[in-house]
Amino acid sequence: MHPVLQHLIATDFADLRGSYVEGQFAITDELVNLGLHELVSQLTSPSVKSEAPAAPPAKIPAATQELPNPKLLLQKVNVEHLRYRTETGRTVLEVKAGM
Amino acid sequence: MPTLDHPVLAKALGDPGGSFAGTDLRITLPLTRTLLNEVLAARPSGTPIQELYIDPEVGNRFRVHLSANAPVIGRVSRRITLVPGPAVSFPDQPWLRLDITDGLKFLDKPLINLVQGQVERRLPRGVDVNSSHVRIHVPALLTHLGYQQLVPLIKELRLTSEANRLLLQLHLLATPPPPSEASIPAPNPLTP
Repeated sequence: MHPVLQHLIATDFADLRGSYVEGQFAITDELVNLGLHELVSQLTSPSVKSEAPAAPPAKIPAATQELPNPKLLLQKVNVEHLRYRTETGRTVLEVKAGM
Repeated sequence: MPTLDHPVLAKALGDPGGSFAGTDLRITLPLTRTLLNEVLAARPSGTPIQELYIDPEVGNRFRVHLSANAPVIGRVSRRITLVPGPAVSFPDQPWLRLDITDGLKFLDKPLINLVQGQVERRLPRGVDVNSSHVRIHVPALLTHLGYQQLVPLIKELRLTSEANRLLLQLHLLATPPPPSEASIPAPNPLTP
C-alpha cells in the first residue's frame, strides 16, 4: 500500500477534514447502461469481514491494514444537499457535502 | 474491487467530457502540512535532495525547507518562501506559478541547477525552476500522468496557503451538449 494512503487510513482520514464539494455531477445514460450499478455495488460491497463500526485505527497494526470499506468512509461525509434527477439522456446528482 | 478495465471506467476515462457532460462541480481540498510532508517523504530515495519538507503559513505563502548536496558548493540548506500565483484556467492560463520571494541567495545557481536537473529527470517538460519562480504547465503534467482527457474539464484550479495547510480549489466543468432539434419547440405559426 502506498505510504500516503497508509497514513490516511492510520489517521482515520483526519487530514482530509475540511474537504468540500458543491455542484452537480452528470452522467450519460450510456455510462449507466454499461453497468454503472454493478460497478457501484462492487465499490460498496464490504471489503472487511465485520459489519461493526470501524475500530479506532490506531489499534490496527499498519502491516495488516486493508483498504477501508467505502461505507465507513461515507459515514464521515456530512451531506447538506443531495438531489437526484434525470434529464434526456443523462442522470444528474446535485450535491453539497463536506468532510 | 473493480479495475480500470471495467467498461464503465474505460468509457468514463476515455471520454470524460462526453460521459460527464453537464457536470459542474467545485471542489475544495485542504492539504494539511502533515499530509504534504507524507507525500514528500514518499519521494524516491537516492537523490541529492536529502531533506525536503513544506510549511504552509498564513498570508498565502509557504516555506519549503530544502537540504541537498550540490556540485562545487557541497551540502547546502535553504528555507525558501513561495507565493502561489493566479488561478490556472484553460486554455488561457495553463501555468501554475509559485513565486520565490525569499530564501535563495545570489550564489545559489548550483542549487537551482541541481533542482532543475532532478525535475527534468523525473518530471515531464513543463516544470520550470529558476531563481525567481517554480511553474508547472498543468496540461503537460496531466498528459504525462495519463490524464490528458481530463484537461478540458478543468475550468479553474487555484492553490492558496493558510496556516498549516494548502488549499486546492478545483472547478470542474463539462459543457452539456446542445439540445437536439427534436427537443427544440417548433415556432408557433400563429405568432407573427
